[in-house]
Amino acid sequence: MTGALSLEGVAKRFGDVVALDDVDMVLHEGEVLGLIGQNGSGKSTLMKIMAGLHQPDAGRLRLGGRVVQLRSPLEAARAGIGLVHQEQSLIGSLTVAENLFLDKPVTFTRAGVYRWAEMKDQARRQLDKIELDIDPATPVGDLSFAQRQMVELAKVLALEELVGGHLVILFDEPTAVLNPPEIQALFAQIRRIKHRASVVFVSHRMDEILDISDRVYVMSDGRNVAERRKDEVKVDELYELMVGRQRAGAVARRPRAVYANPRPRLEVRGLTVPGAVRGVDLGLAPGEILGLIGVHGSGAEQVLRTVFGLTDRWSGEILFEGKPLQARTPAAAVRQGIGYLPAERKTEGMVRNTSVSENMALTFGRQHGVAPGLLSRARERGIVADWVRKLAIRTPSIDHRIDKLSGGNQQKAVLSKWLIGKSLKLLLLDHPTRGLDPGARADLFAVIRELADEGLSIVLVGDTPDEVLTLSDTIVVMKDGSVSARINDVQHNPPTEEDLVRAMV
Amino acid sequence: MQTTFSAVARERLRQFGPALILIAVFAALATAAPGLLRWRAINGLLMDNAPLLLIIVGLTLPVLLGCLDLSVAAVASFSAVCGAILSHSLGSWAGPVVVAGAAVAGGVQGWLIGRLQIPSFVMTLGALGIFAGLALFISKANMVGIRPGLAFFDVLSARTGGMPNAFLIVLAIAAVLSAVLRFTPFGRDVYAFGQSELASYISGVRRDLVRTVAFAISSACAALGGMMMLSQTLFANATVANGLLLPALVGVVVGGTAISGGIGGVAASLIGGLIAVLIRVGATISGLPPASQDVAFGIVILIAVALTTDRSKMGIVK
Repeated sequence: MTGALSLEGVAKRFGDVVALDDVDMVLHEGEVLGLIGQNGSGKSTLMKIMAGLHQPDAGRLRLGGRVVQLRSPLEAARAGIGLVHQEQSLIGSLTVAENLFLDKPVTFTRAGVYRWAEMKDQARRQLDKIELDIDPATPVGDLSFAQRQMVELAKVLALEELVGGHLVILFDEPTAVLNPPEIQALFAQIRRIKHRASVVFVSHRMDEILDISDRVYVMSDGRNVAERRKDEVKVDELYELMVGRQRAGAVARRPRAVYANPRPRLEVRGLTVPGAVRGVDLGLAPGEILGLIGVHGSGAEQVLRTVFGLTDRWSGEILFEGKPLQARTPAAAVRQGIGYLPAERKTEGMVRNTSVSENMALTFGRQHGVAPGLLSRARERGIVADWVRKLAIRTPSIDHRIDKLSGGNQQKAVLSKWLIGKSLKLLLLDHPTRGLDPGARADLFAVIRELADEGLSIVLVGDTPDEVLTLSDTIVVMKDGSVSARINDVQHNPPTEEDLVRAMV
Repeated sequence: MQTTFSAVARERLRQFGPALILIAVFAALATAAPGLLRWRAINGLLMDNAPLLLIIVGLTLPVLLGCLDLSVAAVASFSAVCGAILSHSLGSWAGPVVVAGAAVAGGVQGWLIGRLQIPSFVMTLGALGIFAGLALFISKANMVGIRPGLAFFDVLSARTGGMPNAFLIVLAIAAVLSAVLRFTPFGRDVYAFGQSELASYISGVRRDLVRTVAFAISSACAALGGMMMLSQTLFANATVANGLLLPALVGVVVGGTAISGGIGGVAASLIGGLIAVLIRVGATISGLPPASQDVAFGIVILIAVALTTDRSKMGIVK
C-alpha cells in the first residue's frame, strides 16, 4: 500500500557520520504520524530530506505513488510538502501577509506593482483557514512565539491553492517554545486540517506524541527501529524503544572520588533568568562533574551562559569559591578561572580563518609570555603542540586553519583553549559532543574525566541521558526552567535512562 | 606535493603582492617620467603625503576589527585648527595636547559603539559631522595662523639626513604599531575580534576595551597628521584635511587589509597608501584631463584591490 508520501531505503551520511541508514516510512493520507528518537537519531535529517533541504545518498521518495526528487525547498513546496520550522523561518521586519507569500509566485500585482489591499485579502483568507485572528498588516516581529508558529502553519497551508491538492506538512519540534494552552490550540488546528493534509510531527515529549499522532515511528542511530499504532502503545514502551539500544552498550563508569575539600566551588541560589530559568539551585565541589539535562527550552544552557556572564538580566545569587561572582562579561568570568565551551562551535567556539595555534592561545597564551603584555610565540607553540599531542588532535600542523579540521578535532582544539591556562577552576560544557562521531565523543569523554580527576569542576549540559549518566557525579534534570529531578552519587546508584527522560518531559 | 607547492607559492604572492605592485607602479612611473626618480621629487612626495600615510596607518586598526572610522579626515582638520589656535597660548604644547585630546575623543567613539550598539559606520559618520562643524565654528570659517618658531612644528616640517621628519615619524609609528599587533595580547585580540567578534568575546576578549583603544589610536594618528599639515602650511582652515578620507580608505584596502576585519596589517596599509599616492601622481603626470584622471584612478584602484585581497579567508564579501 502506498501512502501520500513514502520513503524507501533512504540513507544519508555526513562525512564519516551515518545520519540515516536504510529508512523505510509510509505516511497515509489524512494521517498524523509521530516521529520520536533521541538527539542524533536522525529525525531532523529525515525531515530535512522530506522538505528538500538535504538530498538522500540512497533510496527513493514517492509522492502519491510517483517517485520524486526534491532538490530544494522550493521543489518540495511545489510538490505540496511544507516544513513548519523549529527555528522560525519568518522575517520579523515584514508583515504577516508578506511572509505568507514570500515563497510563492505573486498573484496580486498590477503591471508589476504590489496591490497591498489585494494581498491583505488573500492573506486574510489564508489566516481564516486556521482561525487565526491577527491583522495581516502586523509586522511578524510584533507577534508572540505561538502566533508566529501559527503564521508558519498558515504559510505552509497556503501551498494548497498552489499545488491544488493534498499537502504534506512537517512539524519539527513545534511545541518546544510553546506553553500548554498554546500547544492545545496548535493541536486543535492540526486536527482541523487533517482532511486536507498529512502531517509528520516530531517532538521530544511522549505524551504530546501520543495525544496528536495516529501512528508513531521510533528512530535510533539513523534507523527506524519500531512502528506502533496509537491504540496499541503506552508511554513507557515508547521510552524503552527510544533509549533501549544505547543502554545495552553501557560505557565503563568512573569511580567517584572522595572530596577532601567539601567547600563548594560553585553555588547557585535561586537563579532566575526572565523567560528561561526559574529559581534554580546548584552546588559543585572541586573535581565534581555536574550533569545538567533537559529538552530544548528547559533552560539548562541558560544556566551555563549566565554563570559565564553572557546573560544581561538575571536575579538570584551565584557564589564562586564562597564569594559573589561579579561576572558581567565573559572576560570577567575568565579572569576568575571560568571557561565555557559553547554549543555553537562554528559561531561562538572557534575563530574561523585562523590557525589552530592562534585559537588555542587566544585566551591564555598571554600567561606564557616573556613579560606581562608581551607574547612569546615560541613558548605558546610548544604548549599548543603538547596539547595537540595529549588530546590527539588530528591536524596537519598547528598552523593549519581550525575550520578546515573535522568537527571532533575542532571541538578538541576549542576545548584546549581553556586547558592551556594555569588558572582554570570551573569549566562549563554546553552540549560538548554535539555533531561529533562516536570516536571523537569517546576521546572527549576521556579528557573530561581526566580533568575532573585533576580537580577541575565541570558542569556539563548533555545531549542525551546516556552522556550525563556516563560522566556525571551528580545529575540535575531541568524542565521548563526549573529543576525537576536531582540525583546525587550517580556513579554508585545510577538512575535509569527512563527515570531521566520521565523527569525531562 | 605539487598542490602544496603551488599553494605555498600563491600564499607568498599574496603576502608580497602589494609590495610587488608598489615596485611595478613605481617602475612604470619612473619610465614614463624619469624626473620622478630624482631624490627631490621623491622627498617632496613623501613630505606632502606623510599626513595621509599616517591617517592610513591609524585607520588600519578599526578596519582590522571590521569597523570603519569615517571621522579621521574631519579629526585631522579639526585638530589642525585647534593646534593653530592653541599654539598662541600653549606654544609647542599645543601639538601633544591636541593629539591626546583626539585620542580621548576617538576612544569615546569606540566605547560608545559598544555601549550604544551603534554601527561604527554611523557612529563615525556622526563624529565626522560634529568635528567638521566644530572646526568651522571655532575657526569662524577663516584661515587660522600658527605662532611661528615653535619647536614642535619646526621639527615636524624639518628633515633628518635628507628625509622628511614627518615621513620618518610615520615609519616609526607604523613600526611600533606593527610590533604591538604582532607581540602583544592586544594585537592578538584585534585579529581575533576582526575574524569573529562573538567567538573572541566568548574566549574572554574585552571587546569594548579593544574597540576603545583601536579608535583612540586611529584618532590620535589623524590628529598628528593634522599637525603635520599645519607644520607645512603654517595655516589651517576647517576643511584642510577633509579630502583625505577617501584616499585613506583606498590606501588601507589596496594594502590588502579586509574591510570585513581580521586580515591585513599596518605595514600592508603603508604600502597600500604609497601605491595609492603613486597612482594619483601617475594620473596627474599622464596628461589626461582631470575628469579622465579620476576615472583612471578608480579603475586602477579596483585592479589593485582585486590583486591584493586574500578572498579565500573571507566568508562573504559585501
